[in-house]
Order: sequence, then structure tokens, then C-alpha cells
Amino acid sequence: MAEKEATVYIVDVGKSMGERRHGRSVTDLEWAMQYVWDRITTTVATGRKTATVGVVALRSDETSNDLQEDASFSKISVLQNLGQLLMPDIRRLRDAIKPSQTNRGDAISSVVIAIQMINTYTKKLKYKRKIVLVTNGTGPMNNEQLDEIQRKIQDDGIELVILGADFDDAEFGVKEEDKDTHKASNEILLQAFAEGCGGAFGTLEQAVSELEIPRIKVTKSMPSFKGFISLGDASKYETAMRIPVERYFRTYVAKPPSASSFAMRSGGQGQEAAEAGAGQSTSGGEALTTVRMSRTYQINDESAPGGKVDVERDDLAKGYEYGRTAVHISQTDENITSLETFAGLEIIGFVQMNKYDRYLHMSNTNVIIPQRANDKASLALSSLIHALFEQETYAVARLVTKEAKPPIVVLLAPSIEQDYECLIEATLPFAEDVRSYRFPPLDKVVTVSGKVITEHRNLPNEELQQAMSDYVDKMELDGEELPIDDSYSPLLHRIESAVRYRAVHPNEPILEPSEQLTKFAHPDKQLVKKAKDSLEKLISAANVKKVPPKTKGRKRLREAEKPLSGLDVDALLKQEPKRTKISAENAVPEFKQMLSRADSLDIIRDAVKQMGSIIETQIKHSLGDANYDRAVEGLGTMREELVDYEEPALYNDFLSALKAKILAEELGGDRKELWWLVRKSKLGLIDQATSEVSKVTEEEAKEFFSAT
Amino acid sequence: MADDDYARDEENIEDEEVDETSFRAVKDAVLFAIDVSSSMLEPRLSEDPKKSGQESPTSAALKCAYHLMQQRIISNPHDMIGVLLYGTESSKFYEEAGERGGDISYPHCHLFTDLDIPSAQDVKELRALAENEEEAREVLKPSKERVSMANVLFCANQIFTSKAPNFLSRRLFIVTDDDNPHGDSKSLRSAATVRARDLYDLGVNIELFPISRPDHEFDTSKFYDDIIYKTSPSDGEAPAYMQPDTNTSTAKGDGISLLNSLLSSINSRSVPKRSLFSNVPLEIGPNFKISVNGYLLLKRQEPARSCYVWLGGETPQIVKGITTQMADDTAQTVEKSEIRKAYKFGGEQVAFTPEELQALRHFGDPVIRIIGFKPLSDLPIWANVRHPSFIYPSEEDFIGSTRVFSALQQKLLKDEKMALVWFIPRKNAAPVVAAMIAGEEKIDENGVQKVPPGMWIIPLPFADDVRQNPESTMAVSPDPLTDAMREIIGQLQLPKGAYEPQKYPNPALQWHYRILQALALDEDHPGEPEDKTKPKYRQIDKVSDDDEETDASCSSILIDSQRAGDYVLAWSDQLDAAFDKMFGGTAATKSTLVKRGPKENADSAGGPPAKRVKTEAGAGGVDEEVKRCYEKGTVSKLTAPVLKEFLTAHGRSAAGKKADLVDRVEQFFEHK
Repeated sequence: MAEKEATVYIVDVGKSMGERRHGRSVTDLEWAMQYVWDRITTTVATGRKTATVGVVALRSDETSNDLQEDASFSKISVLQNLGQLLMPDIRRLRDAIKPSQTNRGDAISSVVIAIQMINTYTKKLKYKRKIVLVTNGTGPMNNEQLDEIQRKIQDDGIELVILGADFDDAEFGVKEEDKDTHKASNEILLQAFAEGCGGAFGTLEQAVSELEIPRIKVTKSMPSFKGFISLGDASKYETAMRIPVERYFRTYVAKPPSASSFAMRSGGQGQEAAEAGAGQSTSGGEALTTVRMSRTYQINDESAPGGKVDVERDDLAKGYEYGRTAVHISQTDENITSLETFAGLEIIGFVQMNKYDRYLHMSNTNVIIPQRANDKASLALSSLIHALFEQETYAVARLVTKEAKPPIVVLLAPSIEQDYECLIEATLPFAEDVRSYRFPPLDKVVTVSGKVITEHRNLPNEELQQAMSDYVDKMELDGEELPIDDSYSPLLHRIESAVRYRAVHPNEPILEPSEQLTKFAHPDKQLVKKAKDSLEKLISAANVKKVPPKTKGRKRLREAEKPLSGLDVDALLKQEPKRTKISAENAVPEFKQMLSRADSLDIIRDAVKQMGSIIETQIKHSLGDANYDRAVEGLGTMREELVDYEEPALYNDFLSALKAKILAEELGGDRKELWWLVRKSKLGLIDQATSEVSKVTEEEAKEFFSAT
Repeated sequence: MADDDYARDEENIEDEEVDETSFRAVKDAVLFAIDVSSSMLEPRLSEDPKKSGQESPTSAALKCAYHLMQQRIISNPHDMIGVLLYGTESSKFYEEAGERGGDISYPHCHLFTDLDIPSAQDVKELRALAENEEEAREVLKPSKERVSMANVLFCANQIFTSKAPNFLSRRLFIVTDDDNPHGDSKSLRSAATVRARDLYDLGVNIELFPISRPDHEFDTSKFYDDIIYKTSPSDGEAPAYMQPDTNTSTAKGDGISLLNSLLSSINSRSVPKRSLFSNVPLEIGPNFKISVNGYLLLKRQEPARSCYVWLGGETPQIVKGITTQMADDTAQTVEKSEIRKAYKFGGEQVAFTPEELQALRHFGDPVIRIIGFKPLSDLPIWANVRHPSFIYPSEEDFIGSTRVFSALQQKLLKDEKMALVWFIPRKNAAPVVAAMIAGEEKIDENGVQKVPPGMWIIPLPFADDVRQNPESTMAVSPDPLTDAMREIIGQLQLPKGAYEPQKYPNPALQWHYRILQALALDEDHPGEPEDKTKPKYRQIDKVSDDDEETDASCSSILIDSQRAGDYVLAWSDQLDAAFDKMFGGTAATKSTLVKRGPKENADSAGGPPAKRVKTEAGAGGVDEEVKRCYEKGTVSKLTAPVLKEFLTAHGRSAAGKKADLVDRVEQFFEHK
């Protein structure tokens, strides 16, 4: 459980806070609020009831606080008492925090009020107490009884942070020229005040700049396994070794917050929605309502209209697919397919470090540490860790984290640090997890006849190898470690900060990701500069040519369209007497072959016409959706080929006619499902983006699909 | 369950292999065309008298097909497989379907398993045929008349056209020992080449699995070089044509080695190559890009989830679930376009338009951008969050990509370096910082490529993904103790000192499908599951000559004939000594480390080393106590914490009420 928190933010809203200084585009107050809002929304985002926040306005027009009878506490307003802050509070605060018409109001008194608020709220309970004062230091400050207040702050265990606009900070490098003497003495007073009670004093610029650095949520790990690492079977052999250990995450991917689905309230309830909308923070004034899922179940039934019927949930049982056969498993046999296993981490054997391929890691990693407060276990595990390390070996083990869980095979690697020893564990692949896709070698070319060639356009020559080698050496990164500690999950932090920003600024557009998040998106400029010459040499040695986008899909394989022997099959095809009419059985190949032989546009037209009528016949005679895939294949082939032959109009004309026929239900009734399939397969009109010679614009192609 | 499934879907989106450009369905159909001739049916005796069994090329091919069928049910549940026998006396082709079959016939082509997602029945029939059962033998009768290859190819064409239309990948696996089926007959040859061209234009890839005859080397130049094309036009991603593996193609050996080499060769092509992302620029430096394709070569294979089955009909039927989304207030169906995504914040929702959400996910176009290089040794063993992606160059966008990629890969291999990259695999995917390392080509004993050459992209954890190490006590092992452990480690190296994933099938996955198969085919319960991940306990204890003899071929542990167990006992002594020295003798520890033999009491143990094991308040003590109570029948008198400690120590679940614990303890002893 995270500790309870009580934080009071004191915001100086004095008249002078509304001014822009030193060429900044924002007022002092806006600047200060960048910091304050960020802190507050970070707390709100946790959603914790025990993370409480209070807000006090200093130098406000009005006076509203528990001590207001005393004149020294005037012009201080409690805007928000301590408690969990929610969206309505944020909206209220957003409106309330505005520069006032006064410069009166004592900063030290506001701290006293904050102490009072914390005292009242937290009583003597365990809390993390904190007061943050943000000001530009131009207001009046009463230096009486400072000792007493400081003592109180320390006694109550309150952390005091004072941040000021343009406060001098030699360490950070801020020095305000021509500072007026009143502000200068205030700064000295505040610094002494904060530091005298163990608090922090800093300049606002630093605080705002540090907002850029994402904050990492610290998650306390729970053990995912407690048991024994063992060698041998202790139940059968006397020689088995068993060491009690625990397993914790070493890495675990922090996921960005997930969004939930909502439906927009229908427009008919305009008035009502607008009212409800007041309670809902949405960007475009849309009111949202939650979405529920409902599931229905269907089976295939050829006798039913549409080929499918609904079945009741109660008539269903659990089962599995074995190929296309349904296997039903009765409730009593529910675990029949699970393997019987018992928890344990059993060593299978050892492998050499230099024979392990690092890419075999399949998962996040864990640490294996000895059982808590068991010195003997620590000692025993330490001997394994050190022995693995000295022998340069890893252990391979079978891990079952809980009884009846499926076993996994893991790698156990020794990790020895100054003051920490553990085994690092990563999941290894099983036989089924490895897909054997084969690729030709990269250091030689093997010809069809089996000859090995070492000089080839796909192989680097010596010059290229040398240039690459130089470039890689030049681009070597400094530092001993990988930059893991200062790389932050871009998506996670961007979404989190966007949500926080949107909560306070509902009408502003989303922001670009902060620089910190994209720090590793590009190589370091200095490094690039250093390697510039090598890169130029490499580029010239590589002689890489970009393929113009137009020729990309073009019949680039033409020359490859011969069998391995190089036999001219086209010549044989020409002799085939039957192949002037495209047959329905062999339509796709014959259509392609007819096009490739075509020497006039008429023949292409004829081929398209024949193919078109085959497709229409397939649709017309399709029982339900039986022929739809074939029709889509035919259509897709036609589209691809006509793009290649630069005759998009032929396809577009055919498709328009086909659409008309489908909509008119001329092809054997309702074929809307086919049309939907055509849309899904992206087989629409060939537009200008796809083929330059097309007369159809992208918008028209889009329109073609949306209009029904 | 539905919610769970939904969550799983979300998670898997990143890994889906999609083809955004093609209208074709991302599915694979494999049709085996197996030659049934008298020479293919000739059993090849094993020369090794120990290895009994004879195998004919046809039966080896059928076994491979059966094996592949079973495997694909697990790995590719939506892909199709079929078996066409040719050269048979009988002919069979869609007789039932009246639509065809009448006018076109394919003599001596026997469609044994129709191209489809296999059913349990298909599995059963194919197994019967592969195992050469009586009734199946009828089918495997060679025809006296020569079969026309043109006919076989067109028959395959028709099967693909009608059963697997619009599949992205369609492959015809031809297994034959006849390298010249039509001799000098020009017309038959040219008819076959034309039909082969049809298949090529249809997008069907022919893959040949040639088998040499004992007296004759298979020569592809005689006929098959006219039939086979370099790439299929629909599979533009496939890099240059891969040679048939020379060793397998000339597999002449006896039946068993023939079967093994054929299996290994077919296995290596069991899945069609599907890319995870294609033509992503690999940016080596500013303004210097080449293009690469990404593949998922390592991915956890999970059992297919359970589904609902409708039991109202004659046979159980899989039910399709349809989810509709409804507005909570009006109970009206909500269209996808009306859905808005919002984040919970401060008790309300903070909403974004779909365009804004997309913009938030956008960090630039897909890219693999090198930001520098580092020694490979700087990649910590713990710095991992998920499986890697494999990349291989493509000439599609940049001519010359292959040679540049090759230069980089060779440099990184040679100097043991890695590249640090900014990696966005596809549009709007979350960017990661990753280590790009070079991978060497690996070939197995049959000459089949096991690991392709290329580069691997290993996503690194962000600072957000690194957990703090939990507190732990340290007691550094003194040298004598470490040395004792080193002896043990030295004894138990895996073969060749390396981990071979191929040797460890996933026992839970295999068992799941084994049971399903038994249920689907109404077979007996298969008894004991095979689990290769279980350590070889007996060998860890000791290895006699006898053990070595029988286990040598399949064992995963190489060990000398010494007692490895002796080293464990020596280590245990060292441990006790070191512990006594460091922590002052018999200080109360919660647990002993070396477990005693199950039957003997520590103090009276026959083996000298066991006598040091402490009994008081240790796991051993609990063991003894529980065992005594079990023998006396008083387990229920023990307290729940004792029962829990005992169960946990034996890997059993310690959840539930006391009665459950007692049951489980009693079960534990009964099953021993």
C-alpha cells in the first residue's frame, strides 16, 4: 500500500503575478501553474483516495481561511481543502486561479494556514506531509516568529518546498539582473526560512524544466514463485540438491493507460446531453455514455436463410477445435487436457555462455534470490552463482511456478554485483516456438546449379566492407552502459501527459512528445558530425539506388518468369491451340497468359471482358458465399494486372458495372456480402495514387465505396 | 471469458503477421503430391541391424505428411493441408460433388485427403495409410500405365482453385524418386511444362522433395528444372530461390535416414514465410537507408483457446460468437464509428477524438534507425522484455540493400558489436529502443538450415520497465564451496554445451493436443505424457554403462560414468562446513538444503555424506513429521502451517481449507 499523502499547494495569485517578465510569453502565474498543474494532475491520475491535495491562493482578492479573524491572515483564500481531488475540483480551480487586483497578502502567513490545514486533516496519523509555495517573491513578507513556524514544520514532519520565478540560483544558473531590493531581501528571507526547517528552495525555471523528465512509477514486486531450485529428484535419490528460492520480476513492461470505449449520446437529446455534459469532461462537447458488450452465438445451418442460426447460450458447452473437428469437453473433465505438474525449478543441465545466442530470450526477465532470512540458502545459491560465473556457463532449468501450471524452460544466468547476487532468469523457446523460415546466406551466393560465388551484386566488395567497418567504428557510442536508465517509454508518458494536460486544458490541441521521450529517436549530432566523412565514403561504396515508386509493382519479375532451366514456356503456350478463350476452370492463369501475349489493346479488352463474365457467372451461381473468395481472387488478379498494364480504365469500368449489377440484385439475389468483401479486400477503383494514368481521383475512389 | 479473450487480442495485435497490401487471405494451403510407383513402394531395409523397421519412400512421405498434419493442427489451425497420391491404380477426385468429376477426370490421381483444414477423421485415415494398415494397402497399388504429369499438375491446380481460392500462400509438395517421368516424349513434357506454368500464374509454389534411388542420383535437370520457378509471383517477399537441400535431395540411405532427412526438410518448409513487417527502412546513417523485411522466428506457441460447442445436433459444432456493443443508457446497438475512447481521470473521463488518439500514437513513420554501436558485451543478460524480431534485406525499395546489409552483418559478427536502434516496426506502433545483433547461419546434421543468417532486433526495457531488485541477504560463497559446485556443473553439460530448442517440445502443448486427438478419434487415454523437459534424474544421480548405452541417442545430458551425485554430496559437506564457519554452527535456519533419502533417517543413513543434514525445524524435519503422521493415519492432527510448508516444499498447491490440505498430503504419499 502506498503511503497516504497530504500536500498543500500555495499559489501566489497577486496582481504582479499577471505580468510577463524577461521576454517570456507567459505570465508569472501561468508559468507557476505549469508546475502546479503538472504536480496536481499527476496525483489525480493515480486515482488514489489517500493521495490528498489542498490549494491555497496567496494575495487573493478575497480572504477565506480559518484564521481570517486575525488581520495578518487577510488576502489568503483556501480554494480547496485537503481531500481527493476530482475533475469538478480541477474545473473549479482552473476558473478560480486568476491574477487578483491586489498585491497584499503575507507569504509566511499562507504557510501557517497550510500547516493548519494539514494538522486539521491528518491529525496524528501517518501521512506524507508537504507544502509547496510558488511565488514571484514581490509581495510583503512578515519575518516575525519564523523560528516558531520552522520548529512546527519540523515537528510535524512537513516537507516545505518554496519555488520562485526568477529566484537566483547559482547552481542552476539563474541570476536576475536589476532585481529590485524588496524581492532580493524576500528571496533571502524565504531561502533561510525553507532551509532552516529542512525544506527546499529553488528557482521556478528549474522546476518547470524538470517537468520534462518523465517520472517513473515504482512498482513493488511480489514473488511469482517460492520454492526450490533443485538438481535431481529428491523424492527418489539421496543425492538431490535443493535450495529454497524466490522469484521476482527484473523487467516487466509498463503499459500505457488503457482507454475505455464510450458511445456518444445521440443528438436527439441535445438539451439533456448538454447538461449532462457539464459533468463530463470531453473535448468537443460530446457527452459520453458507457458501452456494454453483448454476445450472441451462431452455428452454420445450410437449411436456414443466410446459412446461419442463433443458438442459446444454455445449449453450449466448452470445447476445443482439433483441426476442423469440434471436441467437446464435459465439465467434469475440464482439466483433462492440462498436464499434471508440480511447482519447482529443476535444473536440466548446463550450457556454455559463448554457445548461447542472446536472441533466444523469449520474455521479460526475473531474478531468482535465496529465501528471505535464510543464510544457508544464500550461501548455497551463492556457490551456484559463483560457480556458473567462473565456469562461464548458464543453467537450463524447467520451471513450474504453481501446481498444474504448464512448465517452461528457462535460462539461469549468474549476476554478481558489488552488493547483490542473484540468478537472472529468462524464458527459452520450445521446439514449437521456433519457426524455420529459410533465407539464403549473406556471405556467399549459391547458384541454381549449386556453384558458390563470392562476387555478386548482392555481396559487398572489399571497398564496401572497409567503408562499413570504418563507419561502424566511428559511430561507437561512449559510456559503459546502455542508456536504459534515461530512456523512457515514449507512448506511456505521452499518453499520460496528454490525459493530464487535457484535463486542465480541455480545448487545446494535443502536444508534441517532449524531447526527453524522443531523445533516442536520432543519433547524437556530435557523433554524426564525427562520422560524416566515413558515412559519405560508405554511401558512395554502397551505391544504393532507390526504386522509383512507380516501377515498384511493375512486372519486375518478368525475366524471372521462366522455370529454373530457363525454358521459354511462353513459346510453348503460343502453340497451345485451346488457349484463345479463357476457361472458367483455369481462369486466373489463362487470363494472365492472354494478357502477356497481347499485342493490341483489343486483346486486352477481350481478356477483361471474358474474365469479367467468368467472375459474374461465379457470383450468379454461388450458393450463399461459396464462390465469393474465387470471385474476389479473380477481381484482385484483374486489378493487379491492369495496374501493371496501365489500363486502369478497363478495371474501373468493369467494377462500376459490377457494382450496379450487385446493387440491382441482378447476380442471383442479394450479394451485398460480396460487395462488403470487395471493400474489405480494398479492390476499389484504381485511383491516381495507384496508377498515374487513371482519371479517378482518390476522393472519387473513396466516394465510390461509401455511396450505395 | 469474453473479456479475457478481448484483452488477449489487444495484446497480440503487435505480433500479427499482416499483409496490408494484398487482397489475399493470409492463409496457407499445402497439397502433398506423393508418387506411388513400384520403386517408391520398395521398402528400404535398414543396414543397422539394431534399428528394426523398413521404410519405403512412399511410406516415409506419408509419415511426413501425417506428421505435418498433426503439427499444423497445433501451429496453424486455420491453414489447409491435403494429400494427393499419383500413379495409383485407382482414381479418386470429388466423386461426390456432382458438379465436376463427370467431365474432367484425372486417371491415376487419387485425392486421398481433400485440401481443407484437417478433421480428426482425416488424421485417422492418413495415419492408417502411413502405417500401412490392411484396408489402406488397397490404395497404394501402383498403376501399370504411366501417369501424365500434366494431368497431375492440373489436378492440383483444380484442387487449389476450388478449395483454397484467394490464399496468400499455396504450395504443392511433390515427393518422388522419378527424375524423368516422361523420358523423351516431347508432347507429354511440354504439356507438363504448360501446366506447371499455369500453377505458377495461379500463384502456386511447387516445392520438390526428390528422393534418389539406391543406384541412381536424382537429377533435377532432366525434367523438374522445367517445372519449378524461382519465386511465386504472389510471394514477392520471398527472397531469392533456396536450393533444395543437397543432402536431403540425394538421400539414398536406408528407410529410417530417408524418413529423417525428409522430415527435417519438410519441417523446415512447414510454415510459409510470412513477414511481420515489410520494406521498413533500415537507416544506417542520416540520408542512408536500405530496406528490410521483418519476421517472427521465435514466438510462444499457445494452445488455441477453448471455444463454445453446440451439442444440439448429431455432431458437436463450433459456435461463432458475435459481440455487439450497446449503449448502457439506451441499450441501443452502437456502431464502431460512434465509439469514442476515453481515459479515466479524476472520477470522470478524459476523451480524445480518434484522430487525436492516432496522433498520440504517432512517433514518425516505420523505421529502424541506427543511433550508434556498442560492444555486444554491453548488452546485459537481464535487459530483455520480449521475443526478438528477425530482419533480412529486401531489394524492393532500395537496390543494393542486400550487399549493404551483408557488410553490416559481417562487420558486427566479426567485431562482436551491436547497433542501438530506434525501432518503429509499423505505422503507429509504439517506438522502442532496441539492440540489433547479427545472427550467424546454422545448419543441422541433414544440411538443412536451422537458423537463417540475418540480424535480430531485441527490444530493450525502458527505465519504466526495470524493477528494483528485492531485498536479499548476501552470503558470498567461499572458494572451496564454489569449487565443489563447479565439479557438479562440469558433470552436467547439455550436448555440445548448447541449448537446442528442437529437443524440447512443449510438454503442456503436446499433451493438450494429444488428449484432444484421443477424444476426437475416440481413442483410449494415451497414458503417460512424454515430457522431455524433465531432468534425467537417474543420470544426475549416477550413470552406469548400461544407462549410457540406451540413453545416448536421446539423452539431453552428457555425463561421464562417475557418480555426479557424489559431487553433490561433496558439495553438501562443503556447504555445511562453510555455513558452520560463517554463521556459527547450528544456528537455527529455516531449512536444510540437502534433502535426505526418502526412507532413511538422517542419523542412520547408510551413505556417509547424508549424516550431516540437520533435522531440527528444517524442511527435513517437517518431512519426517508428516511422514510419520501419514503412516500412523494422523495427518489431520497436524496444523495447517505444517501441512502448507510440506505441500509447498513438494511443489503442491497450498491453497484451500485444512481438509483440502490433508487430502493433498495423503494423495502425495499414496502416489509415491
